[in-house]
Amino acid sequence: MMIPSNRNKVIVIGGGIHGCATAYFLAKRGQTVTVVEKDHIARHASGVNAGGVRTLGRDLAEIPLSLASMDLWKKLHSEIGVYAQAFHPSFYLKVAIDEEGYALGSARAEALKHAGYNHEFWLDASDVQDRLPKLTTPTYGGFLVEGDGWARPWLIVRGFAQGARQYGAEIIEKCNVFGLELRQNCWYLKTDKGVFEADYVVNCAGAWAADLAFQSGEPKAPLSAYAPMLAVTESKPPILPAVIGVLGHTLSLKQLDTGQFVIGGGVRASANLSENSGEVVLPELRESMQLAARLFSDISNAQIIRCWSGIEGYMPDNLPIIGHGKQPGLIHGFGFSAHGFQLGPAVGEVLADLVMGQQPRVPLDAFRPDRF
Amino acid sequence: MKTNFDLVIIGAGPAGMSAAIHASKFDMKTLVLDDQFAVGGQVYRHILQNNNNRTDLPFLDEDYWSGHNLAHEFSCSSAQLRPESRVWQITKNKEVFFTQKGKAHCVQAKAILIATGAMERPMPVKGWTLPGVMSVGAAQILLKTAQSGTDGAVFAGSGPLFYLAIQQYLRAGFEIKAVIDTSPKKIPLMGYILTIPALLQPNLLFKGARWRAEIRKKPFYFSEVKSVRINGKDFAESLCFTDVEGRKQTISTSHIFIHQGVIPNINLTMATELEHRWCGRQLCWKPKVDMFGESSIDGIFIAGDSLGVFGAEAAVFSGKIAIQRIAANAKRSAAIKTLVLCLYRWRQLAIRPFLDYLFKPPEDWLLPDDDTTVICRCESLSKADISNAIELGVSGPNQLKSFCRAGMGRCQGRLCGLTIQKMIANHHGQSEDKVGYFRLRPPIRPLTVLELATLSNDDPV
Repeated sequence: MMIPSNRNKVIVIGGGIHGCATAYFLAKRGQTVTVVEKDHIARHASGVNAGGVRTLGRDLAEIPLSLASMDLWKKLHSEIGVYAQAFHPSFYLKVAIDEEGYALGSARAEALKHAGYNHEFWLDASDVQDRLPKLTTPTYGGFLVEGDGWARPWLIVRGFAQGARQYGAEIIEKCNVFGLELRQNCWYLKTDKGVFEADYVVNCAGAWAADLAFQSGEPKAPLSAYAPMLAVTESKPPILPAVIGVLGHTLSLKQLDTGQFVIGGGVRASANLSENSGEVVLPELRESMQLAARLFSDISNAQIIRCWSGIEGYMPDNLPIIGHGKQPGLIHGFGFSAHGFQLGPAVGEVLADLVMGQQPRVPLDAFRPDRF
Repeated sequence: MKTNFDLVIIGAGPAGMSAAIHASKFDMKTLVLDDQFAVGGQVYRHILQNNNNRTDLPFLDEDYWSGHNLAHEFSCSSAQLRPESRVWQITKNKEVFFTQKGKAHCVQAKAILIATGAMERPMPVKGWTLPGVMSVGAAQILLKTAQSGTDGAVFAGSGPLFYLAIQQYLRAGFEIKAVIDTSPKKIPLMGYILTIPALLQPNLLFKGARWRAEIRKKPFYFSEVKSVRINGKDFAESLCFTDVEGRKQTISTSHIFIHQGVIPNINLTMATELEHRWCGRQLCWKPKVDMFGESSIDGIFIAGDSLGVFGAEAAVFSGKIAIQRIAANAKRSAAIKTLVLCLYRWRQLAIRPFLDYLFKPPEDWLLPDDDTTVICRCESLSKADISNAIELGVSGPNQLKSFCRAGMGRCQGRLCGLTIQKMIANHHGQSEDKVGYFRLRPPIRPLTVLELATLSNDDPV
């Protein structure tokens, strides 16, 4: 018989935003929690994403979760203290610059109205121009959400990790899980740092989560890994008070407090899961650059000083997997398809609810692991 | 359609030019891209322009003028040169992206030769960021390209280029206020042992010894200097140091040229995700290559000082060797010549262990003992700022970025990478190759949003 080297009630696999937030809420509620992370906290998509904190433009099924998360973002200081300063709320504008975009906008306005959501507000072209005086291209109007914004992602994740630690959670970095097995109602995790036992396992392993689940005996989730790319420019005088998206196009654009522009929008490069590496092919960001330069000609002459990518797991329907696995005591939270950062706080809370057998405050049906 | 080339060479210094000349003998369709407006690299900088008025430039010696033959032969070769071209990304499929005069281009290569040379080692001594302080290499370039210099400058540091530049400064008629040499006063026994292989390059050895002897005779010379610090409020005002007898000295000056040797310029090779290894002897990262200079990606070759610092003559051979191999892969050549070239190149490496030993940078030039010295210039982070972040539990340079932004500025770690790597290694008691370097990403040269936005894949080059 194996003598367990460690005993824990809940083990969270993955030290990204979802793993750390889950550990935080569990520890806060008095659970014994350990986070095991194969690299270091916020190493992949959670730490190096564009930092957009938006409820705008969400899939209808995701809106309740996203709005619940926004409630948490707004009072983040009471949860993670000084790290909450890394969140910069302003407003988010997703503009239409062509007729296709306007048609998409109209259809969405109709769908939102039908579903009873009123957090996204349609601005007409002159109001968009008033909000963005430096805009250099005419628009057909756009959606506005007040209070959305951006954050420095690695600091938010570190805030949750630090908060979890303060409530007694243990976070073990450089600890890869290579075996996950349920025997007699107890989960056994084989890791770089020994065998761990747990009553509950929360799988927040991001792009690596589906393989991990599959080898533990879960059905294969249709998760694919890519490395969405981003670029950042040198500092320029402030011209952009909001985070900008474009209906029907791949662009996400913001200006940081340093004056630097972050330009992305989800252009995916290939990712190599075993080598921990994502490709960066700068020319593939060309269209995002064209849009950014067209929207704000002041951006044209900014020098791009860095480009990077983070490894992310995508689902075919672009909705995450959140819920109980097939085996008892295993709970999944992964597949956020490059828009999971804002959801992080609420996902942490609902995963903690699931572990503790409580009713989550938002419906999770659309995210069922067995929907495929 | 992208324009296709058999060979794209990046860098028109000795390695790049000799490779291009050689490639045209094999009828390879070759494109040469270089940052500068004319060929020569750093060592033969401005060679074609200067050649027209040799007599006015008595400070340049035969070693420099020997570059003219190479540059002339290059201009007669069939290789196409695109000056003022900054390469900002190479893909694994051997596409080369570059910007020339505000316009971005892309070409497709069958083989790529990276010959981007070396750069001066970062030398974070206290006060190194003050206006009035520049590298010896930069001072030498001003001299070579504009005959521009200043009286009353102080040279501090060591290395072959250090002595060469001082010689040139003196011959150009500038008055030097002091030479602050950090290398040992007497060559230690190990140094003498290493001169034995160096005798394969007697010219270099004796020339170096002569320069050193000449400079050492001057009254303004201080040897085996320690604890160099540059003082000043808004600009450099003086330099203080401890001399060989342990006395503290201060020299007032507003121009200070510092140098501690050169290291391969790895930003392009690392951003292309080629494999690298740490070289403990030259204290730098080097791309991993086979004997022909082929990197870990098939068809991407490296030649010259970007392989490791071996000087211009070795660079000429390494350029030729790479072309021999590229031609052989394309079934155009004979193997015996390659071996002969390898032998010639090997001879050019003979003096290096001696030089590396003699001019090993002092510890306090690699990592200042003063906490307020700026390490990361782009983000204005002092040694103390970085130490504090490392103590929070940082395991490597990439993780450090998210703790204090070190290395995230415009220079992409060129001026802080090795210092930060050493700080982390010291903190954890690990070796530097274990700690590793920044993960470098394109664009490795400046590129504006508009340039990338207007990149066209099918413009003729």
